[in-house]
Amino acid sequence: MLLIHCPYCEEARPEVEFVYGGEAHIARPIDPSAFSDAEWEKLLYIRSNPRGRHHERWRHTHGCGRFFNAVRDTVTDVFETTYKAGEARK
Amino acid sequence: MVDIAEIAVSAAELKLGTEPVQGDGVRLSHADPKARYSLRARDAKVLADVIGCALPGKIGDTDGGIACLGPDEWYALLPAGTDLPRGEGLPVSVVDVSSRALGLVLEGPGALAVLSSGCPLDLAKMSVGRATRTVFETVEIVVWREADDRWHIEVWRSFATWLWNAFLAAMPQAK
Repeated sequence: MLLIHCPYCEEARPEVEFVYGGEAHIARPIDPSAFSDAEWEKLLYIRSNPRGRHHERWRHTHGCGRFFNAVRDTVTDVFETTYKAGEARK
Repeated sequence: MVDIAEIAVSAAELKLGTEPVQGDGVRLSHADPKARYSLRARDAKVLADVIGCALPGKIGDTDGGIACLGPDEWYALLPAGTDLPRGEGLPVSVVDVSSRALGLVLEGPGALAVLSSGCPLDLAKMSVGRATRTVFETVEIVVWREADDRWHIEVWRSFATWLWNAFLAAMPQAK
């Protein structure tokens, strides 16, 4: 079983306790009403989908309940690192 | 040959037992009635002042019946009838969730194996006095290691019947 290190629990925990939360570091618009259709499309639907290092959100649902960010390799499925939500991109 | 317990039980047979069940080296029973509180606060000190007792600071630690489940979340398992102050007007949440969950107790040298049959954590490495939220198969539980051979499992009522029977299925039968 894949083990994921939760930065809040400070422990490696089994994958089944977590849920995937999509790509990380996607900032919401400060003024949504000023957003054009093209900008909305980019925000809602366009993702980087890299081959290799991917910054993504995970939530430790069946644990501390917190969202955090992780860097995972999309080819090897290896978690490079995990860090708390709000911290700078690694 | 390894004996595999029959898990397939019909809906009619799925009953939440009321009496303790003694297996080989493990005993399954209900915990005494408890008062349960879900405690939330960004600032633990404010919450500790409201309820008037110390809070464990690290996730997984317990102190006087209160377990730290998350960075801003605690779960209190107190003697039945305990009434905590609610802290009206303060940035805390003290909610009585006594009726939400049931407590099941697994005890004996075989308890670890029964719990490990569906829980993905390495429970053997969990020290006495630690508690954590986790899953048993697909059911969310809070596991509390009260003593070396005694585990308290909190489970939501609607999952309790299933969990009771899952434990029974995993328990070696008394000869």
